[in-house]
Order: sequence, then C-alpha cells, then structure tokens
Amino acid sequence: MNDALLEIRNLTVRYPGTTAVRDVAFQLQPGEALGIVGESGSGKSSIAGAILKSLGASARIAGEIAFEGRDLLRLSRADHRAVLGRRIGAVFQDPFTALNPARRVGGQIAEPMVRHLGAEPAHAMQRAIVLLRDMGIHRAEEVAHAFPHQLSGGMKQRTLIAAALACEPSLLILDEPTTALDVTVEAQILRLLARLRQQKRVSLLFISHNLGVVRRLCDSVAVMYASQFVELGRVGDVLEQPAHPYSKGLLASRPSLRAASRGSRLSAIQGQMPSAPRPEAGCVFAARCPFAEPRCTGGEQSLILTAPGHAARCWKAKTLGDWPRLAVEGTDLGEFRPGNALVNTNRLRKSFTMRRGMAAWRPSLANRWPRFRYQPTQVAAVDGVSLTISPGEVLGLVGESGCGKSTLGRLALRLLNCTDGSVEFDGADVGRLSGTDLSAFRKQAQIVFQNVGSSLNPRLSVGEALERPLVLFGLAKPRERRQRVEELLEMVRLPASYRLRYPHQLSGGERQRVAIARALASEPRFVVCDEPVSALDVSVQAAIVNLLADLRDRFGLAYLFISHDLAVVAQISDRVAVMYRGRICETGTPAELLAAPRHPYTRLLLAAAADESPTAEPSADIGAGATGCTFASRCPRRLPSICDTTVPTLRPVTSAHAVACHLDPIAKQQCGTIATASIPP
Amino acid sequence: MASYALRRLGTVLVILAVMSLLVFLATHALPASTAAMILGQYSTPETLAALEHKLGLDLPLWLQYWNWLRAMLHGDMGQSLVMERPVAPMLWDAFGRSAILALCAMAIVATVGVAMGVVAGVWRGRWPDHAVSIFAYLGIAVPEFYWGLVLILVFCSTFHLLPSSGIGNLSDGVGSYVSYLILPVITLTLTLLAHVSRLTRSSMAEQLDSMYVKVARARGLPEHVVIVRHALPNAMVPTITVLAQDFGFLIGGIVAIETVFAYPGLGRLLIFALQRQDLPLMQAAILTLTAVFCLANLGADLLYGIANPRIRHGGAVE
Repeated sequence: MNDALLEIRNLTVRYPGTTAVRDVAFQLQPGEALGIVGESGSGKSSIAGAILKSLGASARIAGEIAFEGRDLLRLSRADHRAVLGRRIGAVFQDPFTALNPARRVGGQIAEPMVRHLGAEPAHAMQRAIVLLRDMGIHRAEEVAHAFPHQLSGGMKQRTLIAAALACEPSLLILDEPTTALDVTVEAQILRLLARLRQQKRVSLLFISHNLGVVRRLCDSVAVMYASQFVELGRVGDVLEQPAHPYSKGLLASRPSLRAASRGSRLSAIQGQMPSAPRPEAGCVFAARCPFAEPRCTGGEQSLILTAPGHAARCWKAKTLGDWPRLAVEGTDLGEFRPGNALVNTNRLRKSFTMRRGMAAWRPSLANRWPRFRYQPTQVAAVDGVSLTISPGEVLGLVGESGCGKSTLGRLALRLLNCTDGSVEFDGADVGRLSGTDLSAFRKQAQIVFQNVGSSLNPRLSVGEALERPLVLFGLAKPRERRQRVEELLEMVRLPASYRLRYPHQLSGGERQRVAIARALASEPRFVVCDEPVSALDVSVQAAIVNLLADLRDRFGLAYLFISHDLAVVAQISDRVAVMYRGRICETGTPAELLAAPRHPYTRLLLAAAADESPTAEPSADIGAGATGCTFASRCPRRLPSICDTTVPTLRPVTSAHAVACHLDPIAKQQCGTIATASIPP
Repeated sequence: MASYALRRLGTVLVILAVMSLLVFLATHALPASTAAMILGQYSTPETLAALEHKLGLDLPLWLQYWNWLRAMLHGDMGQSLVMERPVAPMLWDAFGRSAILALCAMAIVATVGVAMGVVAGVWRGRWPDHAVSIFAYLGIAVPEFYWGLVLILVFCSTFHLLPSSGIGNLSDGVGSYVSYLILPVITLTLTLLAHVSRLTRSSMAEQLDSMYVKVARARGLPEHVVIVRHALPNAMVPTITVLAQDFGFLIGGIVAIETVFAYPGLGRLLIFALQRQDLPLMQAAILTLTAVFCLANLGADLLYGIANPRIRHGGAVE
C-alpha cells in the first residue's frame, strides 16, 4: 500500500519526564478521513504537532512521517515550510484567537497563496473572496475586508478553513475545530467540512474528544488512551462494536438524547488516566478496566486484529461483553412530583449598560459645534423570565453561549441584582433580604461553577477551602470542623487525605468534586450548577453527573442545572427550560421536549445535537427581535406580521409543557383569541 | 474613530484647564509676592499697595485667574521679573532647543528600544535576551545625571572628543551643532531604553506564543514574516502607549540633563525661574511642559486607535 497519502510509522513524542505519543502508526489514503479520539492529555494533539513541527524545543520526536513519499521529520526547515500551507492545511480549536487581530481577514487567507503559489496580492485577494463564498459566507467581499473582531465564532472558523484550503492542499489537519463553538454552529461547520471533502478531494485528519462528531465526518477512527492507540478501525465498527474496554467505556459514558428516569445513572469509567503511563508494565487501562485480570498487567499489550480492518490493544478483546451498566440504586423513584415552589422567578429582567461613563458621551457635529450627549447602550441579558423550581427538583436550563443562562443563574442567587422583576426563595423576596436573612438565604442557596481551574483559590488547601463556609456560617465548632470536612469529602467520594492537597495537585474531575463539596458545606436546599461538566472529559463528566444525581436523592436538593449540552441536561433534569437571547422559548419534561419539541429553536438544537435536518443560519443582528420574537431572524417559519411585532408569551401545551411561539397550533388553540386577533386577514 | 478622537481631545482640554488652575494657585501659595519682588529694596507699604493695585493683585483671586488665563490664551505670558523681558520669546527659544533634544532621544528610543525588545523576545532565554536585559537594567538602575557625568568624564575630560556643555551654533556647521547634542541625547536615551525594550520584549513574547502565530507558522510562512508581519503589529500596540508616556518622563529627564550639560533649554529655564522665584516665567514654563505632556498622551491615544483595529473599526459585519 504505497499509494498512501500519509503514512506514520513508530511515531514517538517524548517530553522531559513523560511520553506523549508512543509507537503510533497509521495510514491515510487520498480522500480518506481518519478521526483520532481521546481525552485531554491522551497525546492526540501531539500527533498533529509532530506533523506540523509545532511542538516546541523540548519535544523529542522519533519515527517516520511519510507524506507524499517524503519523510517530513527528515526535511529541512525550509523544505518543511514549503509543505505546510501548500500541501497540508491546519485548523485549530480556538477560532477566537487563531486570526491575527491586527490584519484584515481576506489578507490572512490570501497570504499563503502569495507565499506558496507566487500569486499577485490582488489576484490572491479575489481568490480569497471566492473561497469565502465557497465556505457558505454570503457577503464574502465585506467579510474579506473585515477585521477578525467584527466576525462571529462560526464565521471566524469558516475563514480559517478557507485559509487552510487556499493552496488546495491534499491533507487537512483539524484539531478540535468545533469544540469552542455552539452546537448549531458546530453542525454547520461539520456539514461544510463534509461537503468540502467531497468537492476538493482532500484527506482529513480529524482530532477530537467527541465520538459523535467523528462519526459524522470520518471513515475510520483511532481511539487514543495514555499515549497509545488502543483501537483502530472503520468508524461504524468501532462505534457500534467497540473492542477495547476503554472505547466501550467511553461510548457508554456518553449521555444519549433520551429522557432518563430519576433512578438511572450514566456508566462512568472509574479513576483517571495515568499522567506518565508505563505500557511495558502491562495494559495502561488495567487500573480502570472492569474486565481486568492479573494477566493484563503481565506485560506490554499489542494491537491484535479482532475483525478484518479492526484492531484493539487488548489480549481478550474478542471475548469481552458489554461495558457494565451501573446498577440503579434503590428502587426506581418514578416521575418527580413537584410540590410548592422553592425558587420562583417572576418576570425577571437584567439589562447591562454596554457603554457608560466617559464613553457614553457621544459627540455629534450638529449645528457646526460639537455636542456631547449621554447615550448609554442597554442590552437585556435576561428579559422577563418566570420559572419555578420545587424542593428536590432539577430544572435544566439549555441555550447557546450568550443567551443569558449564566446571568439567570446568578440572578436567582442574587449574585447579581435584577433590573426588574423578582426572585422568591421559600416565599421571601430575595431582593429585599438583608443582614441575617440574606446570610440565611446564602447558606441555603449555593453555586457550582464551570471553570474548575479558577473557581478554587490556589492558595487554599482543599481542607481550608471546605472550612471557609463552615466558619462563615458558623456551622461547626473548631474541633468539629476537621470531621465535617472529611464527611464532605466522603460525600463527593474523595479520600479524607485530600484535605491537605492544593488545587494544582488535583485533576479536573477532582477539583469539580471539591467545588461541589464546598457548595454543599452549608447544607443548602438549592444549588445552581453553572455548566458543571462542560470543561470535563466524557468519562469524568459521567461520574460528576452521577454524583450530582446521588446528592440530589440523598439530600433532596433542588438544582438549576445550566448547560449548553441537551443530552446532559436531559439525563439529570426533571424539567427543562430552553432559553434564547434572554427569553424562555419552551419548557417541559425532557421526554416531551425530546420526543415532541414545539418551538423551532428547540427543534434546531435537537437537530444540531443529532445532526439530522438542515438548520437555520444563525445571525447576529442583536437589535432584531427587540419588538417581537427574539428568534424570528433565524426562524424558518417566521410570519413577519406577527413575529416581528409581538413578543410571544409562554402558553401551555400540556400540564408541564409550554411554548412561546405564535405559530404553535396547540398553544394557539388554548389562547386562540389573542393569537388570531393579531394576524391580519 | 472620529468620535474616539474627539473624546480624547475633550479629555485633554479638561486636563489642561484643571492644570492651569493648579499652577496658578500653587504659584500664588509661594511666599514671594510679585509686587515685592519688583520693588525689591524700594518696597514700602505704600508703594507696594500702589503697585499691587496697578498689577491687579488686589483683585479677587478668581478674577486674577481669569485675567491671567485670558492673557495666556492670547499668547501674552507676561514679563519676566528677573530678566525684565517678555516671557514668550524667551520661552519659545528654550522650548525649541529642548524639543530638538527630546525628539532626537525619542526617535532613538522608539527605533533602538523596539528593536532590542524584538530581539530579546524572539530569542527569549538565550544570550541576546540576557544581553539586552543587562544593558537595559544598567541604564535604568541609576539616575539619568549619573550617565551624563560618566559620559562627560569619558568623552570630554579623557578623550576630548565631544564638547561637554552648552549648545552649538548652526553657523559653525552642522557637525559642530550635532556634536553638542550627542551626549545629552545619549544620556536621555539610556534611561528610557530599558522601559521600552522590556515592554516590547514581553509583549513580543506573548504574541509569539499566541494561537494566530501558531496558525501562521502552520501555513508555512517563514519565521521573519511571522515575526514582522504578524507578531510585531500586535506587539507594538502597548509599546506605542508607553512610548508616549515615556515622552512625559523624558520631559522630567530633560530638566536634569540640561542642568548637567548646561544646555539652554526649557528645563534649565524652569530651574532658573524656580531658584529666582520668577513667578510669570515659572507659570509659563510649567504650563508649557504640561501642555506638551498632554499632547504627547493625546498623540499616543490616537496612535493607539490607529494601531488597534478594534478602535479604528467598530461594529460587527454579519
């Protein structure tokens, strides 16, 4: 098979103290798409780094990277540069920082053509505009002359793909290209890549932590764990019949887009990936593997063929059963029955002043003399949201970045003061609390943040961090504090010895456990979980979601569970609210929303998560929808006469299901007079 | 951009107005009275009162300020008490001589300082970086007049290569004129090089670690293109602001340097006025320095706006 476009043999990447990539070998045929899937730290990005020679001076690379018949590792710097951008294009994770902020977008796309193909700058610019149009950008000329800060995230990633494809390379390396984007934008970018692959006959090396994304784009997939490929095969084979225990665990721990009962749990992989794996001492996954037996740690594992074209690094791969489903704890708790409201938000509104102080004085040159007027710009992040949460209930809040879901969470805890409306907690208006009443509220309503790296004080040990709320709320006498800290650690399933550790000595999942323990220290009744698992790897994410569910059942906690991931929300929530640009557009049980979504935006989110039907183009004209439905500018069913002029209110469909859409037939029937009266004949 | 420029200009005008008030009040708080200084030994209570009336010094303070400010705005800076000449022409001559010093120093700092910073940032942790750091710290570690004295010792007293003090005359040829500028300019430069080169180094290093530089390299662009066309424009944005702030620092430095090199500029004139308690000269000199400082900062803000596309081009394109 010498016609392979890219053939990697025995690739090993070492850093001082650790090995990032060990003996990796694969082939990529022209036009083929290979996915490399693994958790953070598995070494998958180091493979791309070795091809692009972007790993830095401390990396030691050995092996062979044969690309179009030449070994890239043995090329001179200049020869290697002649391949980069010309024959190999690369797109990286974060489109927000990957464009040079000081230069026009078009110039950045044209630059490789000028450099590699010797094109005239003006001609290259024309090509850049054509390329942008190819990427599905409508006003390509305008975008080409724009600066990066004037574009949205999806738009930026399109221009970066355009730049990578400018010289018509034969290989495109994609390193987590959609991870930083919203699901609907991700779906568009994936469809774009699939189309480009067909049109331009380009091979893809697609690196991702997300198995579902790989399924949509790739022919074959390699699963990477602790610096090694543990499984390699056709996408269908690996995802339908995973052979290696790690692949099985990874697939099983992914929440599916299905409503789950209260007693169900995700399958999680116990433990964590070793940071300095030693495969010569046995299988690197043995410590976390439910199928492990003494023979597994006897010596190095090699890739064995389990089926034609399907290999796994496990000696017993052919005989393994399914990943064990986690036993449902206790009896099935049945459907949750809401009681009296614990948290009640009433037409909650929060607007931010975008431009104020000196900057709000805008000069105008009317009547020859410059005049200054004070014109602060107001943006409503949360606009008239009414929600209730009962004791012990989990309300999931889903929406894209910037829709106001985090702001809503902070308003509910009075970490921000609302502009209008009110929050009631246990019948008391939170906005009017002060002194001891406010302190009592703070004790009962806590928060867990997304960013596990920065939400713990790096100067405090775990024990000190957990003691803070105990001291603050006077919950334990000095002598009892240590015991209480150990109880809290036990609650989040961390060993008591972690009391003495500092945040930098913990993994991401462990830090989130500490953050949860800290929130629970004051024995709250209500916890806002603001994207608590978004920054975590799939296998860790499952364990944290399970932990939150267990704690809910054990202490009767109510959660406001905020996430952009519909599948995670469906797994843990009793009810889900879908938010778009500051307003709630649909609420209902997960079963109702997943089986019979009524709002076009909910359908869009679901379709994007499942990648089924075409989705509406996102647009960023913030001003639109101020007088009518916020979703109107993206809505495929928009009726200008009403959608642009009247704000839709949430109207019930069933007892738990409500939708804010003028065009919903059932909701319309219920309030027929209002809706039909506004539509002109 | 226009609204940005207008806003900055408005800020500068407010600062200048406030400064003029402060200068006026501060000089009035001095023990010396203008009338007493003019009269000197002939001062008697009667002549003093008569002169104060004639000069308007018996008017309410706000009216005195208003009259003074109005005169200033019309370019009338009053009469020097010690020199017994109008302040304005004296001040402009001195200002011009100082401006030559400052602009020469600034030009060198901007080019050499930025170049040193880029070199240090690109070869981070290697010998060019250490060399630049040591050189920069030597410059900043001691007060500016120290290097002035060292340079005079080396180039004037020991080797007799350059004149140690005073100012050259253009009629003696450009070479002679420039020879008088060399030492003061180098001395001024030494202190500022450290600041600018350290800042450029760290912002260059930050830009070189950024994602878009990684992307530019992945497109196969040669390293010099990555550095000059991609990293440098972004690295320059904070440097430009600091350069303008340094211009203010330079004005402070000029006062000391002009004294060391006996250079007849604005700084020396100010020291003279302060020593002799020449109030009109003092007020005019301080206000001029303030105005230069404010205008330098205004220039910096505008340059910053031009260098930063977020300010130059506002809203989104969708």
